[in-house]
Amino acid sequence: MNIPSHIDASTLLSDQHFAVDVVIIGSGAGGGIAAELCAKAGLKVLLLEEGAWYQREHFVMEERWAYPQLYQEGAARKTRDQAISILQGRTVGGSTTVNWTTSIRTPQPTLAYWQSEFGLDFSAESLKPYFELAEQRLNIHPWPVPPNANNAKLQQGCEALGWEYTVINRNVNGCANLGYCGMGCPINAKQSMLVSTIPEAMRLGATLISRISVRRILWQHDKVIGLEAVPVDQYFQPRTDIKLTVTARHYIVAAGAIGSPALLLRSKVPNPSGRLGKHTYLHPTVISGAVFAEQINGHSGAPQSIYSDQFVWPADSSQAGYKLEVPPNHPVLMATKLTGMAEQHAVLMQQFNQLQVTIALLRDGFHPQSQGGAVQLDSAGQPVLDYPLTDYLWQGMRRALLSMAELQFAAGALQVLPINHQAEAYRNWSQAKAAIANLPMAPLQQTVVSAHVMGGCNMSASAQRGVVNQEGRHFQLENLSVFDGSVLPSSLGANPQLTIYGLIWRNSQRLLAELHR
Amino acid sequence: MHRRQFLIAGLALAGSAALGIKVWHYSLSPQPDNRSLVLAAILPALLYGALPQDEQAAITALQRTEQAVIDFMSFLPLRQQQQLDQLFNLLAHRFSRLGLTGYWQTLAMLSASERLALMQSWRDSYLTVLQQAYHGLRELLYGAYYGQPEHWQNLAYTAPRFR
Repeated sequence: MNIPSHIDASTLLSDQHFAVDVVIIGSGAGGGIAAELCAKAGLKVLLLEEGAWYQREHFVMEERWAYPQLYQEGAARKTRDQAISILQGRTVGGSTTVNWTTSIRTPQPTLAYWQSEFGLDFSAESLKPYFELAEQRLNIHPWPVPPNANNAKLQQGCEALGWEYTVINRNVNGCANLGYCGMGCPINAKQSMLVSTIPEAMRLGATLISRISVRRILWQHDKVIGLEAVPVDQYFQPRTDIKLTVTARHYIVAAGAIGSPALLLRSKVPNPSGRLGKHTYLHPTVISGAVFAEQINGHSGAPQSIYSDQFVWPADSSQAGYKLEVPPNHPVLMATKLTGMAEQHAVLMQQFNQLQVTIALLRDGFHPQSQGGAVQLDSAGQPVLDYPLTDYLWQGMRRALLSMAELQFAAGALQVLPINHQAEAYRNWSQAKAAIANLPMAPLQQTVVSAHVMGGCNMSASAQRGVVNQEGRHFQLENLSVFDGSVLPSSLGANPQLTIYGLIWRNSQRLLAELHR
Repeated sequence: MHRRQFLIAGLALAGSAALGIKVWHYSLSPQPDNRSLVLAAILPALLYGALPQDEQAAITALQRTEQAVIDFMSFLPLRQQQQLDQLFNLLAHRFSRLGLTGYWQTLAMLSASERLALMQSWRDSYLTVLQQAYHGLRELLYGAYYGQPEHWQNLAYTAPRFR
């Protein structure tokens, strides 16, 4: 059968079967890299994506379009107790289509932790060739343009306080500094999987099926023998009227750190370590708003161009570290996160263009009190993440709110509003310091968000401590690999895309060497 | 409105939500009238200070927001859609019933500040289900309102057209 290069599963009228060399479930950072390398190696590749194949000409620079069309659960995905909101892409290219382009190699202390805890012998040196390949492929370079005011305030605060800051490397080519990365790049400047590896894989003969939800992997003894999938409807809900089946020599699961464990849990694959769907990490993130006299216009310009690692690796290892960054400021993101109601909320929204927002991403997973969350299935078989917030994390969040307020005042803020539902706008650092010390650190009172989901199928040197080995190969099912952020055995302390690109590049090469033997 | 009355209403709501389908056998399915009733009561209070001064413009903005809520909900997981429908049904039902029995007014008859005070009491409640109701509704409704370009005048913001 000659398969076309793209099939929109929602347009199919009857059941279909596909037989290929490699089927890849998920088209994000992991699936995208794997698709290109497998296609280049001459294999017949099928790339499956739950989201739609939206491209430059489809993107609308409005959140009311972008969130439901491009994000998991309309960008309103939440943990089971609704205490943490999760931004995660669900479209061809996965989160790479909607991320903010920050590209950071895996920090050395993270690799060292993986070595000591999980026996993984990665090092900055051994991964360097793969980071270089990914950086070259996706045009990752330090951003040469001055930061927008939102990022500049982060830089100025760091300068005033003598804190470390770094100019961010971005995966862009011909970026016009617009600021709408989160809604899909309207000029194809962002070198996401959508514009790089996926079209190249398709040119080399790979087939992309969009709007398809893989429900189950079928396995027998130590081998995967097929998979079952269904189209999704216009709201991306799985349908039941049509069934698609796939058989392949090798199966690559790359559905993200919530989707991949969920698929494997639905499939009831062997799980002797008990770690499948467990130890999911989020970089739990807290937010601090600040009003400045001048225009910040945080919707305009590269969303992230400066970060500070001043607090990521505290000398006291009993404390949670956190990375300081800024988000892009768009109306829905702001309106839903700003606290209060009625006039109080309306007044804040009127200061939209004067608001600077700083975020602190906690490095979770490096402490006995930070063992992450668990992916569970609801009655429809859809994933829901249970993520308990511990005292260790709450204490880290309080320190992060303090650091951000100090930074924003040092950068000249008139008022600082920690995003906690019992907080007020504070007029100076000493007032903020005293108030933040007493804010209730509790679910729902303290706003917590995440844009980085990691873990749930962690790699490990031993089958007792992981779901996959260092090559991403499933310990029990020999023709199954997991190639996405779910293999990470802790959070990273850095934005994850480049780690995933490099790691999956390495593991794809190793897989191909074996498939060609 | 006294705090104790909120607490009683809150407990009734929480109890019903916890018992779920056993108490309100219809409550998981969408009831457009209930949703409209609750939105018509809560939105004007929540958006006080943001809605246009002109009455007709405000009514149009509220209708647009209600439609945006409806459009958006379909993209949520079915589990969450059911929770929201249940919340709308319970709120509509509870308030109507209180109104009928004379213990309390209907939701629509509460003043804007009383409706805000009611929501505020959920935020500060020790019952998780009421806190979740506060945050869930607040995010859903503010997202729906500020997602509309027609409502960005106060923000001095317009979405760019790059093509």
